[in-house]
Amino acid sequence: MTIDDLRDYGANVDEGLTRCLNNKDFYIKLVNMAIADNKIEQLEKQINESNFEAAFETAHTIKGMYANLALTPISAPASEITELLRNKVDTDYTELLDRLKTAKRKLDELA
Amino acid sequence: MQNDIRRTVLIVDDELINREMLGYIVSEDYSVMYAENGKQALDILKNGDKISLVLLDLIMPEMDGFELLDIIHNDDELKRIPVIVLTSEKTAEVKSLQHGAADFIPKPYDMPDVIRARVMRSIELAEDNNIIRATEFDTLTGLYTREFFLEYAREFDEFNPDMSKDLFVININRFHLVNELYGREFGNKILAMIAEHLKAITAEHRGIACRYEADIFYIYSKSQEKCEELLNEHIKMLENDKDGSKISLRIGIYRNVDKNIDIEQRIDRAVSAEKTIHNNYKTAFAFYDTKLHEHEVYSEKLLLELDRAISENQFKVYYQPKYDITNNEPKLCSAEALIRWQHPEYGMISPGVFIPLFEENGCIKRIDSFVWNKVAEQIKKWQGRYSRTIPVSVNVSRIDICDPELESELLSIVKNNEIDISSMFLEITESAYSEDSDMILETVKRLRDDGFKVEMDDFGSGYSSLNMLTEMPIDVLKLDMKFIRNICTNEKDRRMMELMIDIADFLNVPVVAEGVEHKEQYELLKKSGCDIIQGYYFSKPVPLEEFDKIVEKELM
Repeated sequence: MTIDDLRDYGANVDEGLTRCLNNKDFYIKLVNMAIADNKIEQLEKQINESNFEAAFETAHTIKGMYANLALTPISAPASEITELLRNKVDTDYTELLDRLKTAKRKLDELA
Repeated sequence: MQNDIRRTVLIVDDELINREMLGYIVSEDYSVMYAENGKQALDILKNGDKISLVLLDLIMPEMDGFELLDIIHNDDELKRIPVIVLTSEKTAEVKSLQHGAADFIPKPYDMPDVIRARVMRSIELAEDNNIIRATEFDTLTGLYTREFFLEYAREFDEFNPDMSKDLFVININRFHLVNELYGREFGNKILAMIAEHLKAITAEHRGIACRYEADIFYIYSKSQEKCEELLNEHIKMLENDKDGSKISLRIGIYRNVDKNIDIEQRIDRAVSAEKTIHNNYKTAFAFYDTKLHEHEVYSEKLLLELDRAISENQFKVYYQPKYDITNNEPKLCSAEALIRWQHPEYGMISPGVFIPLFEENGCIKRIDSFVWNKVAEQIKKWQGRYSRTIPVSVNVSRIDICDPELESELLSIVKNNEIDISSMFLEITESAYSEDSDMILETVKRLRDDGFKVEMDDFGSGYSSLNMLTEMPIDVLKLDMKFIRNICTNEKDRRMMELMIDIADFLNVPVVAEGVEHKEQYELLKKSGCDIIQGYYFSKPVPLEEFDKIVEKELM
C-alpha cells in the first residue's frame, strides 16, 4: 500500500499524514491496523440485535478512529450512523451499513 | 519546558489507533503510558508512577472519562494532575471543564503542534500552581505564609480602599518553654489550635491571617468596633480548653491603621505595642497609641541623630570619683566615665533612655568607642599635667563583647595614647556573663592577659552561680546599686551586701560600692570591709573641668 493508493481511495492523505508527523510508514502502519479492526462487523451485529446503546458507542469509536486517519470514505457514513444512533432514531440502517462495509472492503483491498 | 526533567503523560483511550497516533505525537516531548479505560488509568495513577498529565477519552467501556475525571478531581493527591479531555462532541467540552478538566483537544486531532503546545501549557500551569500552593500556606497551620500575607494584605487594601482596618500581632508567652515542658508535638497542636481561632475570626469579619514564624501570628482585618470583645471570646474558648489553658497570649493591636504607611510599618507598630507587654502571665492586649507613637518617633529621631551628635560633640564624658576607704581618710583613687548627651533640642538626655536604645540596634559600640578614646586621651593629659596616673573605668557593653575587633581596638587605643594598659578599667555587667558565658569568659580572659583590669559591674543583679564565680577572671567586684540603697533600713539587703563582700574576699578581689549617698551607708560599708566607694556621698558624676578641680584639691 502506498500513499498514492490511499489518495486514490479518497483519503485526505495530507491531513492524516500531518497527524503522523509526516511519517508515511507510521501512517500506513496505522491504516493497516484499521484494516485489521473488526468494529464495523461488531456494529452491524449490534444494530441487527437492536442494541442501540452499544451500537452508538461502537459507531462513535469507528468514526473517531477513521476520522483521525482521515479515511473519509469510512468516517463520513460512520458519522451519519453515529448521529442517528445518538438520537436513537429507529430507522433502517441497512443502506448506511452497506456504504460503510463497501468502503471498508475497498480499503481492505489495498492491503 | 521549565527544566529538563522528562515527564510522563498518560493516554487513556479505548481505541488502539487513537492511542498510537496521539502517543506518537507527544512522545517527542514526553514519556508515554497507555490505558484502555478509566479503571486501568486509575490503577496507573494510584500506582505511584509520577504522571504529569492525563489525556482522556470520554467514551470508554468499564469506566468512562467523566467518571475518572470526578475521581481525580475529588482526590487530594490526584487533583494536582491536569487532565486534557479528548472529544469530538462540542457539548462535552464545557461539561469536561466543569468536571475539572484543564483543557480539551477536539477529535479528529488538531495539528500536532497545537496538541503539543496545549499539553505543555497545561503541565506548566499545573506545576506553577502546585509550587505556589506549596509556598502560599504554612503547612502546620494552613494559614498564609509571611510573603503571601504581605502580598494579600496589599491586595486587601487595593480592593477595599475605604475600609478601615486593624492589624493584630499575636504571640505566645514563653512558647519555647511550652515546647520544652510538653514536647514539640504539643506545641504544634497549640499552634494549630490558635490558627483555627484566627481562621474563624477572619472568616467572620473579613480579613487574612498568617503565621509569621514560630509562635507569631498576624491578622489584618476589617476594623471591628468591639475587637477586644471579639478576641476575648476566642481567648475564653482557648482558656476553657484543656491544652489551650496551658498557654497565655500577648496581643499587640494597631487599630485603624494609617493607610499612608506600608503594611510592614503597620506590622511594626502592632509589634511595638505587643512588646510593651512582654511576658505577662495572663493574656494581655496592648494598643498602639499616640503615646507609643511619640516614643517611637523620639527613639527613631535619636537613632538618626547619632552621627551628627558625635561629630558635633553633643556627647560629653562625665567623671564620677571613686574613693579608697581602706585607710582612715577616704582618698580619691580613680573615676568612672559616664556618657551624657547634651541635645540641642531636648536638653540633657538620660543614658537610661538612649543606652538601651542604642544597645538594641547595635549602635552602642560607637558610643562606647567614643568614650574609650576620650578617656584614654584624658588619662594621658592628666599624666602630663599632674605627673600621675588616674585610672578610669569605662563601660564595655555586652554587645561590644561579641565584636571580634574589640580586643584589637582597645589595645590600639591604649597604644595610640601611650597610657598604661592597667589604667583603663573595663566594666562588664554581670548579666552579660550569664548570656553566653563561654564566649565572654574567653574574651575577658584574653583582655586580662593583655593587662586590662576587668570589673564585674552590677554584681548581685544577675544570676552568677557560685561555681561560675570561682572561674570568673575578674579584678574587681562592683556591687549593684540596688543593694546599697537600703542597706541601712533593710536587714536583708544589709546581709546580702555583707555576703557579697565575703564573696569578693574569697575571690581575693577588691569591692566597689556605687550609689552611696549617705554617711550611714558609707560607715556601714566601711565597717563591712568594702574597699572603694562611689556615689553622691562624695560626688555626683561631674564634667571634666569640675573633676579636674577635685583632683587638684584631693591629690595635689
